[in-house]
Amino acid sequence: MRRKRFSRREVLAGMGAGLAAAVVPGCSGSDSGRSGVLQVWGGVPAASGPADLVKAFQAKFPQYKVNYTRFVNDDRGNLKLDTALQGGVDIDVYFTYSQSAMALRAGSGLAADLTDRVKADPELQVFLDTEQPRSYIEDGKVKALATAREPYFVLFNEKLRQQAGVELPETWTIEDFRATAKKLTTGSTYGTYSLPDIARIALGPNYWYDGDRSNFGDPHFEQGFRLGRELIADGTAFPWTEVLSRHLDAYQQNSFLGEEFHLWSTAPFNLRYLYDAKKYPHDFKVSFAPPPTVGGKDWNGGSYSNFIMINPRSPKFEAAWAFVKFWLTEGATPMLKGGKLPTLGHVTDEQIVSGMLGKEPDKYFDMDSFRRVVLESEPKLAADTRLAGFPEINLAVKQQRDLCWLGEKDPGAAIREVRRLADAAIARNERKS
Amino acid sequence: MATATVVAAGTKARTEQGSGIRPSGWIGFLFIAPNLLGVIAFTLIPLVSVVLLAFTDWNLVSGLGGITFNGIDNFVAIARDPGFWHAIGLTLVYVAVSVPLTVVLGLGLGIALNRPLPGRAVLRAIFFLPYIVNVVAIGMTWLMLMNPKAGLVNQVLDAFGIQPGWFASSHWALPALIVMAVWGGVGYCSLIYLSALQDAPRQLYEAADIDGASAWAKFRVITWPSLLPTTVFLLVTLIIGASQGFGLIALITAGGPGDATTTISYYMYQTGFQFYRFGYASAIGLVTFVGVLVLTLVTWRAQRGRALND
Repeated sequence: MRRKRFSRREVLAGMGAGLAAAVVPGCSGSDSGRSGVLQVWGGVPAASGPADLVKAFQAKFPQYKVNYTRFVNDDRGNLKLDTALQGGVDIDVYFTYSQSAMALRAGSGLAADLTDRVKADPELQVFLDTEQPRSYIEDGKVKALATAREPYFVLFNEKLRQQAGVELPETWTIEDFRATAKKLTTGSTYGTYSLPDIARIALGPNYWYDGDRSNFGDPHFEQGFRLGRELIADGTAFPWTEVLSRHLDAYQQNSFLGEEFHLWSTAPFNLRYLYDAKKYPHDFKVSFAPPPTVGGKDWNGGSYSNFIMINPRSPKFEAAWAFVKFWLTEGATPMLKGGKLPTLGHVTDEQIVSGMLGKEPDKYFDMDSFRRVVLESEPKLAADTRLAGFPEINLAVKQQRDLCWLGEKDPGAAIREVRRLADAAIARNERKS
Repeated sequence: MATATVVAAGTKARTEQGSGIRPSGWIGFLFIAPNLLGVIAFTLIPLVSVVLLAFTDWNLVSGLGGITFNGIDNFVAIARDPGFWHAIGLTLVYVAVSVPLTVVLGLGLGIALNRPLPGRAVLRAIFFLPYIVNVVAIGMTWLMLMNPKAGLVNQVLDAFGIQPGWFASSHWALPALIVMAVWGGVGYCSLIYLSALQDAPRQLYEAADIDGASAWAKFRVITWPSLLPTTVFLLVTLIIGASQGFGLIALITAGGPGDATTTISYYMYQTGFQFYRFGYASAIGLVTFVGVLVLTLVTWRAQRGRALND
């Protein structure tokens, strides 16, 4: 039998088909690959709350099945989510943690319009607030809802506070903070890791923007850079050389637990390190103080965060919305384990205590101050909604702050450089939009 | 002779009758198709995409529909971008210092290891080790060694009254990266030189010995010209590698402090993957590619006709 000869056209066609078969599934924008299971992508490890939340949701709504996929909330993880969303991967609900990603995703049509659902539900009316925003609203349309509030507070190493005879503040100013940090400084340890964000406390949300320009001409920015530098120079705050060379920004908890510094301006997500004595052994209790005020202004340095969004391409909008509503309301309790205080209420004080402070809260925390600062106070909290050039500005602030706090650049010059870069970034992005 | 003719005739007969397929160049494509498809999908298409994207404004998140062609706007913006020129300047310094140092030290080490030293094989392996060690392990090790307060390097330098801040200083961060790059590349260079040295023409050395030539004269007239092709190969590969240097910068300094270590590769990464300006980042990539190509061609042409074997 004579075998068939392959023609040039047939060979090329075969190769083309092979190439198409290899490439097309990854680029498909259709819903053909979608499963009946609700696909949820979030940055919190499943074991830190989402798995229990999903279990509770499925128990209440047995008609829905949910698959939770974790992406790491860093540049690479967010890129993975973005390409998956664009490539038509089966994602119905997803989370956005950084404001820069928010602007891109919502502005690029990757977030379904939730306005009608929010307006129709009395329980969700707070998400329409524009004074202290808890949602991302674009052109009057609600695109993302914050699931968590992350207020900042100041933690004290209670043992050293008592030894130094420092009173636990219930209200205090930034000057008091400085004086307290100085009192807690010893020959070999530092009073504080660094300074709370003075400009944020004074100016509140969207504090980087002023009309169609940046707001870095406001004196609070230079004041923050200058005061931070002075604290480092007089040995009250951690030397920035060590912060950079030891990459301490990401591992502050180790230095606090190792008693290298004693005042820590931080947020609830770091409490998980403080009750886990097996992994993070320490022998002192931690007490809580509210953030200091700046010139009588008291915006909290934290924000509403962990935004939940629905993919507009999802064919399972009803299931997706049921899940979003559940996460925001009755389902929020398991997330306390990961230090996520729910944006809406729906959790009791006792649930917060047992969820966020571990099995033996009295052993590791001063409960009176915890109740006062975390449970009973209502900090002025919001989410940023002006986001033009946000990542560029973020980088400029970080770079110039580093140079300033290393003692290599004058605070005034550093802020002027931030202002120049921020104005350019805003102009470029506004022009595009 | 007769046997050879018979064998050849037999082979021809089998080819024509047995397979039924006439030898054709196109059959070859079927065999290389898996690799060819890989090259097309993962090299050619991305390459063409980058060239096309360089003329667009695109943020990835907006999808293919969000691509808007903006002509040469990106290139005009690059010409006016102080951040780009700063990154180019740093990259040139990084390349200009690290590459010659690596080559010179690699040559010295190669010559030393070519001599009959005791434990020579072990020494060769030890010096080559940095080249194969994972970049994360290298980064973490040097981070500890160069800690301004507790690092071993500063403890030694302290004896001389020098206390560099290394990665926590905008003046010392780039030199620290250069030290690491040189340390990582010297072993590789020495190994390549070693193999070239072993191919050096023995008879010329013997003739030089008879003529009573000094060691320096032998190096200048015989060794160096015979090593020239190797040196050019090393220069070209090291220049390309150094201009693409990214891993250690991303791991240790993230381009800082300030923008002290924002080389062109890291700037491109920032622009693309942090600011999501993919069109602009592609334009930077294209300009960098052309620059490195020119640099490589200049290096290549500079040695033509000078090698011993030419």
